[in-house]
Amino acid sequence: MLLLQVLINGLLLGGLYGIMALGMSLIWGVMNIVNVAHGALIMLGAYLAFWMFHLWGLDPFLSLPLTIAALFVYGYCLQRWVLNLVVRAQLFLTLLITFGVEVVMINVARLLWSSDLRQVTPAYAAANFEIGQLTIPWVRLWVFATTLVLSVVFLVVLEHTRLGRAIRATSEELRAARLTGIPVAHIYAVTFGLGAALAGAAGGLWGMLFPITPMMGGSLTLKSFVVAVLGGLGTMMGAIVGGLALGLTESFAGTYLGPTYPNAISFGLLVLILIFRPTGILGRRT
Amino acid sequence: MGARRWLTPVAALGALAVLGTAPGLVSPFILQFIINLFMLAVLAESWNIIGGFTGYASFGNVAFFGIGAYTMGILMTKAGLPLWAALPAAGLVPMVFAAVVGLPILRLKGHYFAIATLGVAETMREIVYNVEITGAGTGLVMPIARTPALFFYLMLATLVAVTLVNVWLSRSRFGYGLVAIREDEDAAAAMGIDTARYKTIAFAISAAFAGLTGGVFAYWITFIDPDAVFRVIVTIQMIIMAVFGGAGTVVGPLLGALVLASLSEVLSTQLVALAELFNGLIVILVVLFMPKGLLEVLRAGRGSFRAMARNLREYRV
Amino acid sequence: MAILTARNVTKKFGGLAAVSDVTFDLHDGEILGLIGPNGSGKTTLVNVVTGALPASAGEVRFDGHALTGLPSHEIGRLGVSRTFQVVKPFRNLTVVQNVMVGALFGAVGGARDLKTARRQAEEILAFVALDHRGDAPADGLNVPERKRMELARALAMRPRVLLLDEVMAGLNPAEIDAAVDLIKRIRDRGVTLLVIEHVMKAIRNLSDRILVLFHGQTLTEGAPADVLNDSRVVAAYLGRRYAEAARA
Repeated sequence: MLLLQVLINGLLLGGLYGIMALGMSLIWGVMNIVNVAHGALIMLGAYLAFWMFHLWGLDPFLSLPLTIAALFVYGYCLQRWVLNLVVRAQLFLTLLITFGVEVVMINVARLLWSSDLRQVTPAYAAANFEIGQLTIPWVRLWVFATTLVLSVVFLVVLEHTRLGRAIRATSEELRAARLTGIPVAHIYAVTFGLGAALAGAAGGLWGMLFPITPMMGGSLTLKSFVVAVLGGLGTMMGAIVGGLALGLTESFAGTYLGPTYPNAISFGLLVLILIFRPTGILGRRT
Repeated sequence: MGARRWLTPVAALGALAVLGTAPGLVSPFILQFIINLFMLAVLAESWNIIGGFTGYASFGNVAFFGIGAYTMGILMTKAGLPLWAALPAAGLVPMVFAAVVGLPILRLKGHYFAIATLGVAETMREIVYNVEITGAGTGLVMPIARTPALFFYLMLATLVAVTLVNVWLSRSRFGYGLVAIREDEDAAAAMGIDTARYKTIAFAISAAFAGLTGGVFAYWITFIDPDAVFRVIVTIQMIIMAVFGGAGTVVGPLLGALVLASLSEVLSTQLVALAELFNGLIVILVVLFMPKGLLEVLRAGRGSFRAMARNLREYRV
Repeated sequence: MAILTARNVTKKFGGLAAVSDVTFDLHDGEILGLIGPNGSGKTTLVNVVTGALPASAGEVRFDGHALTGLPSHEIGRLGVSRTFQVVKPFRNLTVVQNVMVGALFGAVGGARDLKTARRQAEEILAFVALDHRGDAPADGLNVPERKRMELARALAMRPRVLLLDEVMAGLNPAEIDAAVDLIKRIRDRGVTLLVIEHVMKAIRNLSDRILVLFHGQTLTEGAPADVLNDSRVVAAYLGRRYAEAARA
């Protein structure tokens, strides 16, 4: 059944998009920073997973925690010592600076690792799991499972820990948060770190499914944005829902229209959503 | 008093006359650099209209550049039109496109507008990639023109035109309206300014010049494909050049283009990656330390460090 | 003669009616005071009249035109201007440039070139006694100066009707007296005024009539002496009245 296959493919991909968007949505929701460098962070995560696999033979699923930790530290430092300096400036300036960060990261990657395509190919990469006429690559299934686990863990942290409460408080009312003793600069940095960690995880997983190049980030940033807006900004569940929605859309577009269409559709979708329903599927109308 | 008014225009005309002799005097390599410089300056000045004066920071103006390039390409290769017929179209088509797309998009604010424009640029690239008439992924090969001098004068003329438009904005009722929109759109509307119309006009004019530049560029490099003309780095360059020099001023974007393009050329003759890296670093440094632009820094003189510190205190957390 | 009429104006936000079935006339050359406790819908009413918000129901007419349904810039072009409760200066412009925007736009027939606009702006600044600060950056003014610039900007639009939203908030007693004097002189120039205020002394002094809003509805309307002594108005304001009495 081709239809079911397309559906499953879309959902599996959608989980990955959801994780990507979760990171972006968090950063945007808490600090009102649209992180244009998000795709570059995903790219960094992918390269880290690739090099750990290539140099040390580390299985990409096993090295995921390392990737996540590394990206968290990187994100924390970036926010704490660079982005925190302009976080309260006009929106256009914060957008511009993250653009600059993205350009720097992509070009450093180009210089260090060249533009050659890489891919993480563990032994089980080609193994499939079959149900009737459906073929599901094991890797995709495990990637999807991992994204679900990460999403749940993240949501639990945000809702039920002191850290999560501090983050949510800071996002709602900066001055009040300060007054109650929350170390805002640190919380912002942690938030960005978490967003970067999620991006890194997405990158590590992405590398198992698709080729890795320094340029991969650009379209992924936009897709994260599409998903975040599609699902409804500020709602974490929205990122997950939006991710699944985009995954399905791309899967159908790719199968029924042609392989070069998914990107055009995603970006076109972005523009349409912004025009007609900027609050997204789950978002609240302000 | 009367004599001083004429100083700037006379000086400008003099500079133009000197520039006009350049094709005969300088090496082809330098000529190429100058043409590229003019192109970036036009892009920065044209972005200034919507981003600097009106305060709507478009992150997708490269879309108009690309549409202009492809209009030129399609008209010259598929329809066989000569330069003088195709070039105005390269300005007109993006202008109309901007007016149409602007209707819904200019109603968005802040981040949403910026990302929407980015989305438009990316969508345009993907569409061009997929469509037959544009040559899809393989691109278009333009008719060859013999003389680089031609492109020099075309870019120079476009640069003069867009600068004059900026001058007009800085001393006209329409320009005041745009600035009011930038400063406080609700107050501007309450004061009788038709904000939707003004924004759309500014966006369209900005697009027209980006398109003209794209048209000349297409003819100049004789081969275009989606990745050559819809590059995000071009958007970054035009924005950072305008911001670095001073967004919202007439001379700022020109200054920014001159300084940054020259620096970029000096620092990186070989690797494209280095040039882009440089651009990225400049963006970060400018936003951190001189978000109001070079002109403001120059004006503040010795007070500029204090101004920088004040900026940081206001913006940081 | 009524130049601006509001009939059954209602504005709802979701289920909440911020303004409910308000009807009033604004007579040519009068100063109509609009008072009511915080949250009674005064600013919302002004927002609806000036087109900043669409009305949920009802109609506002001015000089033969229906205002309801028009965008705010068209209402400004017709000759209805307003000041904002939280002032909205054009921060990166100078004071005179701020006022010039009003002169260039505003009611139909304004200055079309910068030189004329500047001259008109300077005249208005002199009228509000702010001409000595003409070339100062707009974000460098103190509170009373900011209020006067906001007023000057609205005046430069050549309005026939001017709606003032709490221009005296944050002013000390001497500044309040100066503001009252200025508003009276604006009326003498031929402008009809609707003034929202909390400062009772000023409102009593200024208004020909007073309209009282409470929970979005008209509570009462009439001569200052009657309205301010009305027990229902006192009850709505309980506490504030006594504070005012102690100060006056």
